[in-house]
Amino acid sequence: MNTGSDKRHVTTVTTTRKRTLKQKLIWLGDHFRNEWQIYLMLLPTIIWMILFLYKPMYGLQIAFKDYSIFRGVANSPWAGLEHFETLFTNDQFIRAFWNTIKISFLNLLFGFPAPIILALMFNEVMNATYKKTAQTIVYLPHFISSVIIAGIVITAFSPSVGIVNTVLGWLGIDSIYFLTKPEWFRPIFVGTGIWQEAGFGSIVFLAAIAGVSPSLYESAVVDGASRWQMMWKITLPSILPTILIMLIIRIGNVMEVSFELIILLYQPATYETADVVNTFVYRQGLQSGRYDFAAAAGLFNAVVAFVLVMIANTLSRRYSRTSLW
Amino acid sequence: MKKLLFTTAVSAAMAAAVTTTPTLADGHLQIVKGDPLELTIQMNHARYPVYKEDWPVEQKARELTNVHLKDVTVGANMRTDSENTGKTEALNLMLASGTIPDIVGSSRIKDFVNQFGPEGAFLPLNDLIDEHAPNLKKFFAERPEIAAAISAADGNMYYIPYLPDGKYGRAYWIRTDWLKKLGLEVPETVEDYEKVLRAFKTQDPNGNGVADEVPYFARQWPELIRLVTLWDGRSSGSDTYHDFMVVDGKIEHPYAGEGYREGIKNLARWQAEGLVDAEIFTRGSSARDFLLSENLGGSTHDWFASTSGYNRLASEIDGFEFKAMAPPASISGKRIEEHRRIPIKPDGWAIGGTNKHPVETIKYFDFFFTEEGRRLANFGVEGMHYDMIDGKAIFKQEFLDAGPVNRSLYQVGSQLQGRGYFQDYGYEIQWSNEFALEGIELYDQGDYLIDQFLGVAFNADEQKVYDRHWGSIRDHMLERQQSWILGNGDVEADWDDYMAQLDKLGLSKVLEVMNSAYKRQYNK
Repeated sequence: MNTGSDKRHVTTVTTTRKRTLKQKLIWLGDHFRNEWQIYLMLLPTIIWMILFLYKPMYGLQIAFKDYSIFRGVANSPWAGLEHFETLFTNDQFIRAFWNTIKISFLNLLFGFPAPIILALMFNEVMNATYKKTAQTIVYLPHFISSVIIAGIVITAFSPSVGIVNTVLGWLGIDSIYFLTKPEWFRPIFVGTGIWQEAGFGSIVFLAAIAGVSPSLYESAVVDGASRWQMMWKITLPSILPTILIMLIIRIGNVMEVSFELIILLYQPATYETADVVNTFVYRQGLQSGRYDFAAAAGLFNAVVAFVLVMIANTLSRRYSRTSLW
Repeated sequence: MKKLLFTTAVSAAMAAAVTTTPTLADGHLQIVKGDPLELTIQMNHARYPVYKEDWPVEQKARELTNVHLKDVTVGANMRTDSENTGKTEALNLMLASGTIPDIVGSSRIKDFVNQFGPEGAFLPLNDLIDEHAPNLKKFFAERPEIAAAISAADGNMYYIPYLPDGKYGRAYWIRTDWLKKLGLEVPETVEDYEKVLRAFKTQDPNGNGVADEVPYFARQWPELIRLVTLWDGRSSGSDTYHDFMVVDGKIEHPYAGEGYREGIKNLARWQAEGLVDAEIFTRGSSARDFLLSENLGGSTHDWFASTSGYNRLASEIDGFEFKAMAPPASISGKRIEEHRRIPIKPDGWAIGGTNKHPVETIKYFDFFFTEEGRRLANFGVEGMHYDMIDGKAIFKQEFLDAGPVNRSLYQVGSQLQGRGYFQDYGYEIQWSNEFALEGIELYDQGDYLIDQFLGVAFNADEQKVYDRHWGSIRDHMLERQQSWILGNGDVEADWDDYMAQLDKLGLSKVLEVMNSAYKRQYNK
């Protein structure tokens, strides 16, 4: 698939090189006349990107300014790297940074395979009614707002009425006030994330599995392969490009742990493990109106995420020839 | 239902306006003659989110002053935060939008105007008050400490505050029926209090055979920290949680004091023993409602008016009685109630820097400090919501019966935090129940209140130091505080490290700028 499009790309490049400007314009006109529907479909996204991704880049300069909302972006005085210096000399920021990495890594380690496994399992279910019901049930949490999710988690882990401690009580274990214990925060948070998103995340992989050619399975059956072998030897390799693309996208979002859920679940007592860059910025930057400081932290976040995506993409291209660009 | 009430109130307002106009329209309060003057207003506050031009109180103010306020509120759906975090997002949005209305009223406006006023976003009010606002001038002359407290670092006043009346806020509450049942006295000292809480835990006062009682609980977890006052510590210097305090004319932070250390040590013990709600940090604002109506909660520290209202549960829970008790004496024998109503709120209103009618505007602000204006801001409209009886504003019975009076008042445009006015405690006393009044009487006799820290205004350099260090210090303080109480660490063992860490995070620098600002502002 990849090599095919590459070849086409190469031919267009070589032919355009030989054209004169006039020919180029005619070609461009023809191209738009034939393909305008596709560009029309692209337009909303482009407008969205310009308005919400490119225009705000102008405001990024406040990370290097002593920003006052009243003076505005252009008229605030420059402050150099002061905000970055404040950031990097702050132990709590450093801690929040490592917490972000740790939570994200755990999310990746446990949260990324979960929807793939789920999709493979759904694929093996034979009873259609059972399959549909199970899918609906696992998709549901995705549509519940974080506030409700947090409420459910707080109640479930409550030391007096929570189901978790009730079950522990049956086993003769003393109740634990989970949400105030730093060592329990990550498991609870990552677990909640999996519960909430694994089902919905499996849709992409189910779609990829549906795209695998049935003839492969048919010939495998003829050769006497077991279902297990077919899963390992056919399904997984076929959806590997999808898995890798999803992985790269996911790595790009490593710095963006779902911070609204953290804000709802954490306590000063659990800052030690729960405080991530975004919650730190929210608390010390936005709540006190220090937009310049918050912008500096946000910019740093984005740079880290960009570097991570670059690395992941390069590695993926080198070892599997699948990549975003 | 609420809407229906509101519309009825509005139509009643119109009817009343027609009937009462002749007696009141003598025009002595008119600010402009002839055509009414129109001023724009932005208003956000925690109690009732948006400004309404048809509030009966606003209609009346229009009629009396001939100044018409036009609502141009930006961010009307953003409630300024009532939980003391100092969020003023709607104001930030207004400023970012580029137009500043003639009048800006909001809760939590103080730091905002003191930061942007000197930059030109708001007008300094000192000269305007001096020349055009006799009532405000008189008020500030009588209460110079208020003028000092609201001034910005450049010495100017940029807003007219909402000034609460009445002293009492929170008190200690206890299930007196449980005390009787167990044959206990109202605790007089911290040792007694501990014994009582332990008895609540172990002797099953709710009689269901299970030790499910929650001896001490609180809607806001910092109310647990408040108990360090029983060991001569402090939890805050003002009605804002975790605030600085004044000790012998110098600013210190309560979370770096010896009494605090002792208090936390003991509270950790209470927590481990189950005398304090095990879920105090996560139960949240419904704690009081849930624990009292389930017959589980024993004692708390909460507001007079709203907490006394729970005695209505007596109809469901046999013998239920929840009464205020005097603060137990601390280990050194001191009885203090740390929380009180602050005399000046950081709420109120200010004049936008582009206002073309500053004189008329300050006269309009002054109007609410006249006798008629103050009544309007406190009680609503005469003849509609209250009547004058023997020179006192007395609410009409149907208004008292229409639900919580404060909420009804917000809905007609009275008692707004986004307006600079002097509250009249008379408004509240008329609908406080007997338990609240009895409790206030008790606290009044004992004289338990202490002076409060009224805040400082930083100059730009001080602000920078404060911004750079304070957030991290505060985070660290709260983090250690909770882990000590939950037994994840030992306050005695950690204390030296803790103090060293606070110093490393810059506490001494923050205290230095606090003190220099304090000195400048209060001339001490």
